[in-house]
Amino acid sequence: MNLNSETVALLGNLNALAGGLFLLCTFGMVATRQVQGCLRLFIAQALFLVLSAFLLSGLLHSRHVFAVGIINLISKPFLVPWLLRRTVRSEVYSRREIDQLINIPASLLIALALAIGGFFLASPLLRVADGPYVAVNLPIGLACLLLGGYTASVRREAVPLLLGLLAMENAAFFAGVAIVPELPLIAELAIAFDVLMLSFIVGLLTRTIHEHIGTTEVGALTALKEETKP
Amino acid sequence: MSLIVILVLPLAAMVISLMPLGRRVAPAATLLAAVAAFVLAIRAALHVAGGNAVVALPNWVALDGFGALVLLLVTLVGTTAALFSCGYMAHHARSEKRLRFYYVHSNLFLFALIAVPVVVEPNIEWIAIELTALFSVLLVAYENTHESLEAAWKYIAMMFMGAAIALLGFLILFWAFKTGGGETYTWDGLRAVAPNMPPVLVKTAFLLILVGFGMKVGFVPVHTWLPDAHSQAPSPICAMLSGVKTTVALYVILRLLPLLRMEHIEAWLLTIGLISVGVASFLLLQVRDYKRLFAYSTVEHMGIIFTAAGIGAAGGHYGAMMQILTHSITKSFCFLAAGATLLAVETREIASVRGLIRTSPAAGAALLFGGLAIAGAPPFAVFLSEFSIFKAGLLQGRYLATALLALFIGIAFFGVLVHINRMVFGRPQGNPHPTKVRLPFSCVLTLILAAIPILVLGVYLPEPLHQLLTQAAACLSR
Amino acid sequence: MTTRILFNLIQVLVVMGFAPLVSGVTGRLKEIVQSKRGPSMIQPYRDLRKLFQKDEVVSEQSSWIFRFTPYLVFVTPIFVTLLIPVLTSYPLFFAFMGDMLGGGFVLALGGFFATLAAVDTGNPYGPIGASRTRMVGFLAEPVFMIVFFTVSFVAGSTIPYIVQQKWVTPLANFFEPSHVLLMLAFLMLILAEGGRIPVDNPSGHFELAMIDESKVLEYSGRGAALMKWGGQMKFFVLLCIFLNVLVTPWGLAGEQSFAHVLLAIPLILLKIFIFVLVLVVIESSLSKLRLFRITEFLGAAFITSVVAMITRIFAF
Repeated sequence: MNLNSETVALLGNLNALAGGLFLLCTFGMVATRQVQGCLRLFIAQALFLVLSAFLLSGLLHSRHVFAVGIINLISKPFLVPWLLRRTVRSEVYSRREIDQLINIPASLLIALALAIGGFFLASPLLRVADGPYVAVNLPIGLACLLLGGYTASVRREAVPLLLGLLAMENAAFFAGVAIVPELPLIAELAIAFDVLMLSFIVGLLTRTIHEHIGTTEVGALTALKEETKP
Repeated sequence: MSLIVILVLPLAAMVISLMPLGRRVAPAATLLAAVAAFVLAIRAALHVAGGNAVVALPNWVALDGFGALVLLLVTLVGTTAALFSCGYMAHHARSEKRLRFYYVHSNLFLFALIAVPVVVEPNIEWIAIELTALFSVLLVAYENTHESLEAAWKYIAMMFMGAAIALLGFLILFWAFKTGGGETYTWDGLRAVAPNMPPVLVKTAFLLILVGFGMKVGFVPVHTWLPDAHSQAPSPICAMLSGVKTTVALYVILRLLPLLRMEHIEAWLLTIGLISVGVASFLLLQVRDYKRLFAYSTVEHMGIIFTAAGIGAAGGHYGAMMQILTHSITKSFCFLAAGATLLAVETREIASVRGLIRTSPAAGAALLFGGLAIAGAPPFAVFLSEFSIFKAGLLQGRYLATALLALFIGIAFFGVLVHINRMVFGRPQGNPHPTKVRLPFSCVLTLILAAIPILVLGVYLPEPLHQLLTQAAACLSR
Repeated sequence: MTTRILFNLIQVLVVMGFAPLVSGVTGRLKEIVQSKRGPSMIQPYRDLRKLFQKDEVVSEQSSWIFRFTPYLVFVTPIFVTLLIPVLTSYPLFFAFMGDMLGGGFVLALGGFFATLAAVDTGNPYGPIGASRTRMVGFLAEPVFMIVFFTVSFVAGSTIPYIVQQKWVTPLANFFEPSHVLLMLAFLMLILAEGGRIPVDNPSGHFELAMIDESKVLEYSGRGAALMKWGGQMKFFVLLCIFLNVLVTPWGLAGEQSFAHVLLAIPLILLKIFIFVLVLVVIESSLSKLRLFRITEFLGAAFITSVVAMITRIFAF
């Protein structure tokens, strides 16, 4: 479909807005205390990814990206939380994480530094880019990848840690919809399936940990070390 | 066509293992599938060594030199692990359901491991590597103890973090491929287009994939999950994990090397490899658990392979391929020997095991054999491959790197032998005449069978294998 | 020129006149949402008239600061009104007297003296509230700065009138990420500086939990009336900055005629009313944060504003 330049500008801005809110949701995942809150922010992040995918599929005239949007819409906001709820006992969701490895205001500042670092890392790549939307999606994707990795490193509860890992994958895809609109469909389907399987398996593992150790605070498991035991 | 059959065989065994048919059907099916896959892999490898490519699905599933080598190793280790599991799991499994759980996951794990070398499309390659991690995590947690659950959690967290970073790397690689004007997205297609791809994109993609998959290989400093995961899993799975799983991740990283057009890339590779070798050899000295000993040795050998790739030119690449071959067969044997030891003495601590040769001659002999072999003593296979790496290093003029490598390998040699020696010989504490433990027949058979290639390759390299190694080494050069 | 001074005066009168109405409407709407009847919307006017007629009681231990502060708190928002666009989209007579940073400083001056006055009397609740206000204030400062800097970077000037003309000119730019995120950050700032839920409960009576309200506790008679009125005007001024500069620069008088300027008055009131609806929804659905969680709330505002800055300055 042919769009006039004003609509293109508006849709481009909406894509940038989806990107900004995507980044904001990732920051929220770093800082939020509640497990439920982390899950809701993850769902919001996935919805912004889907929005960006749909906008870019129209702007770049790519059916593959549209399929990416559909696949992500089905898997991330619906199937992943459903799988997690089925495998992990529901009482885990009422947990609040009172302390993380680094306290929350310091975490936010470190996350900010990582995000700005991500933007700087992406700038040499942008010189090679030919489309205007790569300049939005790639830096935000790289920044959120770093933020997700940071979340997975400092969080001690099992479910937010897993959500941090899934957020990293969301971020990689957020960059991907702009830089590789022709990704083969089978790769997208397989990656989505892989995410679902990861959620399922990690949910099972969390339940087993909960059953055998009694807590899901996996950051506190530090039994395997080399020092001589007293 | 045979490649598809090789892929499907473990899936078929998995399906059979799902059905409740008694305690003997699952192990037998797994073993049959693994042996059949191995035979077919040998046939495919001979085909490739003869100079013909093996293609099942054009541009998706095919085999070249490097892939054939890795496929051969995967199926070999899979066969020995399956044979060893028959006796080991019969002893260890608490119920038929747990036994079948083990075999289902073990077959899925083997399927994913086989998928990595036969797939030639890089995006599917990422998925295959992901599957190897996903299918093995519940096996690492198999024993459901505090330590194994902790190990499994750390394992999956770091595996997926690495995978997500590498995913962005693969997407950027695809972007570079499309910008360079490539048509068919396979490893060969990438090599063809390599001069046209924007160098900054290729560099960034390689960096991301190195960091991401480096977590899966176990390069220092992201190796912390490796000793835990590779020691807590049941021993045949440890053999597969250490023997081939880290190798296939390294396989993917090495596939990217010919795409880089950077000066000093060799210096970087040498640095990363030597850091891994050095840190691992020092950490080896103070382990308290013999399976962790072998796990640190895996980190060290991955570093050695990377250093050999960094030494470069045909000699270094050939040395790297040979090290991949010898490490896989030797490390899997070591873990099988560790499994036999565990069956004999029921403890993982080095300090509690003394005079193993008296308690169980088979386990003691195997452990001694494995320790000597992995440390790099002649006349075993690892010695030959390390020697060829040293030779290549001196020929290329990398004197400092070769000297450091020799030093670190020497330290590790010392560390491994001290621990193994104390375990195998030495006066047994307590009872001076301990009762001998009989190991299951399949375990002893596996140990004997797995020891043969290690001895043979230490003195003689068959011609087809040499050709295969040369072809594999050619895949690393530009 | 006289018309411009006249329009400026009309602006000041509008702010002075309608600030208590905004406060009354907010209170009434909140009560209606909670299924109560609520006080009349012009109750704040009646309160102010009552307070002006009453006697003042001043503590003997207090200094000149205590007596001087109500006048300062009353006058500082009026100064800021002269600088910002309330009714017109073109700069008025005093518009170049100070820019947005200057306006921010002037408002902060009033707040500073109010804090000092709260400490002045020796009432135990005064310093509690004063120190908490300072904490909220210094955490909100970076957000103010970054919002103003980003907006000025885009518009090329720090004068609010010029910013307002350049900020959201093509309609598509309304959805720009920096715009939306700055709106979000400034909204969180208004909640913090205006003492609304989730930072502080404006209708609470429990002194130990008060942040802003405790500064008014010691005043009586005319002083209390001026403090209250000044607080309401400060809130009105913040809303004007938010709505006219950041959110919707439309509906302001474009031409120099009386009719247009007088028409702009109901339009600005309409915009404020819509905002009050949003505010009431926010206030009724959230609960007051515990004191040390306010740092996280303002940290989130800070992050939002920095993300807005990043997406504007680095990415494009």
